[in-house]
Amino acid sequence: MKKLYSIFKQGIIFDNPLLMLMIGLCSAIAVTTNVSNGIGMGLAMTFVLLFSEIIISLFRKLIPSMIRIPIFIIVIAAFTTMVDLVMKAYFPDLSKSMGVFIPLIVVNCIIMGRVEAFASKQNLASVIADALGMGLGYTWVLIAIAAVRELLGNGTLAGIQIMPASYQPILFFILPPGGFFVFSLFISLNIWFKKRMEASARNRELVAKKEAA
Amino acid sequence: MKKDMTKLGMTLMLFASLACASLAVVYAFTKESIDKQSEIQLQASLKELFPQATAFEPIQDLVSPDPNIKFEAAYEVKSDMAPLGLAMKATGPSYGGAATLLVGIDLHRSIAGVRVMALNDTPGLGMNASSPTYYVDKTKKVTFLGQFNEKFLTDPFEVKKDVVAITAATISSRSLTKIIKLAGDAAIAYMDQKAISAPAENGASADAGTDANAQPQAGGK
Repeated sequence: MKKLYSIFKQGIIFDNPLLMLMIGLCSAIAVTTNVSNGIGMGLAMTFVLLFSEIIISLFRKLIPSMIRIPIFIIVIAAFTTMVDLVMKAYFPDLSKSMGVFIPLIVVNCIIMGRVEAFASKQNLASVIADALGMGLGYTWVLIAIAAVRELLGNGTLAGIQIMPASYQPILFFILPPGGFFVFSLFISLNIWFKKRMEASARNRELVAKKEAA
Repeated sequence: MKKDMTKLGMTLMLFASLACASLAVVYAFTKESIDKQSEIQLQASLKELFPQATAFEPIQDLVSPDPNIKFEAAYEVKSDMAPLGLAMKATGPSYGGAATLLVGIDLHRSIAGVRVMALNDTPGLGMNASSPTYYVDKTKKVTFLGQFNEKFLTDPFEVKKDVVAITAATISSRSLTKIIKLAGDAAIAYMDQKAISAPAENGASADAGTDANAQPQAGGK
């Protein structure tokens, strides 16, 4: 159980797919103009990641390594298309605002990367923990970036007016350069946070050693 | 070696067919709901464009003169048998792929309104065409599609002249304008051909009213 938790935890901060592994960035920058898009994209991607990892992990002994990549793609594409159809049927508004980015989950490197590096070698339980951790890590970063960009660039959060009417939105944050800008700030914050955590862990070790001596 | 390849091929085929089968199930399951959603959207938009209308009769013989722009559907809009205008569902190429618009044309040969049915574009830029809160004219609160309301088809419909473009989405603005113009022209040609026109008694006064409203706007740009 402890092992599962540590796998789950990895994806959220230390091995965060966006901020540390830095994969799957294109969709992350493209959809984060609006918080509801961030939530929708995060959930859709987590769903595809979870089920692709489960299927690949279950069938990992049956997949010949020579043709593993095409098989991964087939599985991922099938789940992505399912998400796309279900969203169109039951959440037409969300599906409309996400547009082309839902089908593009197929080529999201996070999914391919996790399936290839993790799911094809691990058992079912660790794979579920990994998918949920990575998915949550991706989702929270999307929501955080989207919140900053939407608030500054449009004066709203999830479509609700937050800033006073006199606030002149800074269009820069909605445009792609603003996306890169906010994104890089998050990367630096995450690295700073990680370094601090490591430093405090080292300090604790030193103190423990001194006390022991 | 040869045996190996056949085996690999068979495995790949097996996975592909399994994926296909499960997709088919999901497709069959969601199809009805997706069709219903787009029908609801279409009906709602038709009602928005022509609030007084009581019937939308499909027209079959209206074909687009441009091979790139297709008319998926056309309706003759009626209120208790009296014609109100035409509504065209037109699809044409835009920046992010095909865009589908619903264009309403009233009997004064002007645009009754335009609604987006399907649009793929850059969020925050081209997608603003379908946003109800993105104004091309901030002081008057006119949306990109809103600026076509009551616009006469005799106008040039040129982006950056009589049509205000969406900031940083000129290609989208141009292609959407082109779809609207083509659908409008085709509808007017159809009306002339079938002699659909406004009843004489209220036609004259209404015409004068819209003329007075529309002209300064077009001239000001």
